[in-house]
Amino acid sequence: MIKEGSINGCLAGKILRINLSNGKIRTEPTAKYAEKTLGGRGVNSLIMINEIKVGTKWNDPKNLLCFGVGSLVGTMAPGTCRTDVSTVNVFSGGKGSANVGGFWGSELKYAGFDNIIIEGKSENPIYLYINDSDIEIRDANLIWGKTIFETENILHQELSDREIKIASIGPAGENRVRGSAVIIDTAKAAGGSGVGCVMGDKKLKAIVVRGHGKINVAEPKRFMREVAKCYQQCKNEPNVIMMRKAPFNKYSNPDYEGWNTNMVVRNGQDDYWEREKRIELMNVKTGVPNIQKGTRACYLCPIGCMPFMEINKGKYKGTKGEGFWINTIMGNACRFDISDPKEVVKSWSLANELGLDGDYIAAGLSWVFELYEKGIITKKDTDGLKLNWGNGDALNKLIKKLAYREGIGDLLADGMVEAAKKIGHNSEYYLIQVKKQPSIEPFRIPKGWSLAVSTSPVAGRHLRGATMGSNTCGPRPRPGNFNVIDYHNQAKGVVWQGKTKELEDNLGICNYVGTWTGANFLTLDNFVELINSGMGITLTKEELMDHYASIGINLEKAFNVLHSNISREDDLPPKRFREEKVKSGPYKGSKVEGTKYNKMLDEYYELCGWDKKTGRQTRTGLEQLGLKKIADKISKYDKLVM
Amino acid sequence: MYITINPNLCYSCKTCQLVCSFHHTGAFWPSKSSINVFRNPQDGIIEWSINSTCDDCKDEDTPLCIKYCVYGALSFFKEEKKGKKL
Repeated sequence: MIKEGSINGCLAGKILRINLSNGKIRTEPTAKYAEKTLGGRGVNSLIMINEIKVGTKWNDPKNLLCFGVGSLVGTMAPGTCRTDVSTVNVFSGGKGSANVGGFWGSELKYAGFDNIIIEGKSENPIYLYINDSDIEIRDANLIWGKTIFETENILHQELSDREIKIASIGPAGENRVRGSAVIIDTAKAAGGSGVGCVMGDKKLKAIVVRGHGKINVAEPKRFMREVAKCYQQCKNEPNVIMMRKAPFNKYSNPDYEGWNTNMVVRNGQDDYWEREKRIELMNVKTGVPNIQKGTRACYLCPIGCMPFMEINKGKYKGTKGEGFWINTIMGNACRFDISDPKEVVKSWSLANELGLDGDYIAAGLSWVFELYEKGIITKKDTDGLKLNWGNGDALNKLIKKLAYREGIGDLLADGMVEAAKKIGHNSEYYLIQVKKQPSIEPFRIPKGWSLAVSTSPVAGRHLRGATMGSNTCGPRPRPGNFNVIDYHNQAKGVVWQGKTKELEDNLGICNYVGTWTGANFLTLDNFVELINSGMGITLTKEELMDHYASIGINLEKAFNVLHSNISREDDLPPKRFREEKVKSGPYKGSKVEGTKYNKMLDEYYELCGWDKKTGRQTRTGLEQLGLKKIADKISKYDKLVM
Repeated sequence: MYITINPNLCYSCKTCQLVCSFHHTGAFWPSKSSINVFRNPQDGIIEWSINSTCDDCKDEDTPLCIKYCVYGALSFFKEEKKGKKL
């Protein structure tokens, strides 16, 4: 276990706290939080549960917006670039968290900070300029109202420094569109939970960082020996080339199994997308791959998974940028039945330009398309847009309306659950959401994925334990069942993957370079050696998994129990997928079987040490993790199971 | 001694820059690196430069920037005619 005062490497050392209501800036040491959680997301979660009072809403000035860079970020450990953004979830009212790569997190550490905690709310639009230890709150009038791309260009000019790194919001965040993202380096999104909406509510347009400092490790020679080993493993990993070309290499093949197991079609009417549409979208010579002009990597990444896209002709000529990914195929193509590659690429680019979460667009707006198909809304409601399946032009116009709150966009901007209440006519049934956040995930076919997404403490996202990646290409052995369509023993895999993801978020390791996609990428043994030699501590693999990998999920669960009353019912997949079967394809007839799913959920709660009936935590479980104070707090609200 | 870059192979992960700084300082300190990689994410441009502090990692078998480049974008030549100097 980590002893008090023993960490002597990897951390930048300070947490920066800025109160936007009164302009006060202060710092405090990171170590006391990192000793309990290892860093990154864990530090954010600890600060949130300790400091945000029960009853605080996302738009309350007392809500905190927390940026947490992983402990290994800034060192040479491969794939370490990740930053967690946490706040009150604008959808569920519980824990909100989104994770992002790029170059911003490492820059913050070179400037001397591990975390930034934003308190209060500014009266006027501002941005933060962190230049090593010089911290300025600056007027943002020049950039308010601008797109992400325009904002970055203006800031580079104004500050006369092309090496600054920028985390900003677009017009969507400014307009407090619920599904707004924080965008880093123009293309990397901290997407979920509405973190960009909270940033906009605080009138914080951007956080600009420039760092000239260094990160030390406790035992440099020993640390670099492990780093060299990690790079060699990554080089030898057979999946590395596949990962580098994933959307194109695999999905260009219309018979690739992922087309059958991962896609949700026409807002969940089916989970099978017709073969001819797959070919039209992903044909190597005429489809999305033809729009790719190169590939880029995040900081220190040995995989390099970001295609650089550029449309050279037609009405979208000049659209370009990095980061197109499989989610765009799942979301903006299949869910809308759009097989025109340029329309799909444009919709992805618009999300980045306007600062929207791609999943919110996909799950939220495909629901609107279905309401149009069913006649629940008509052209009168959509300002004349014909929201027919396959109409990419209409989707791209609707995305702009959403970001700028124009016409129907204003109704949708306050969240789809709220919109459904206003629209009525049983429209909420067709909305695919978990804990009120629209979700693009597949639920009916991959069972471990379904369990992980439904139980995710940050509402309907797969980066808290979804196991399909590791079923198809990830590390073996690992606990759980590798047959994705089977219910049996999936909970073990979900809990294991959730724990390793927690370590990755706390250390700042990308999930792809970590435990998700390849047997030879970084393993738990690598984690232990990197932490021990880097931070100067002596942890065992058992301590890492049994204690430190379990703290974060319990902090997030506790936050949800205290702040949003999330119960067992909220850990079920969307109702539609429990009632309607897949209509076509090899998995025709599949749906979420209630009894089998509930058995899986029982196993999941049991493995987490939570009460099966309510899904809530127990005093014994929390005290075993040293979280007695949190147990007392939950008990005070009569929500602890004794 | 020449370090050369194949621009088509570089993904601009900047690993070369960080390991170079470790060679010089024993810490991870990119502003003290001899090699610099700049990337503009909007237009896709990547630029590379090496300044006069580069010592070809004389105490290593291979310069560290080359050793750690998993994309194979950097090469090292002892003879001038074999590559374009970065």
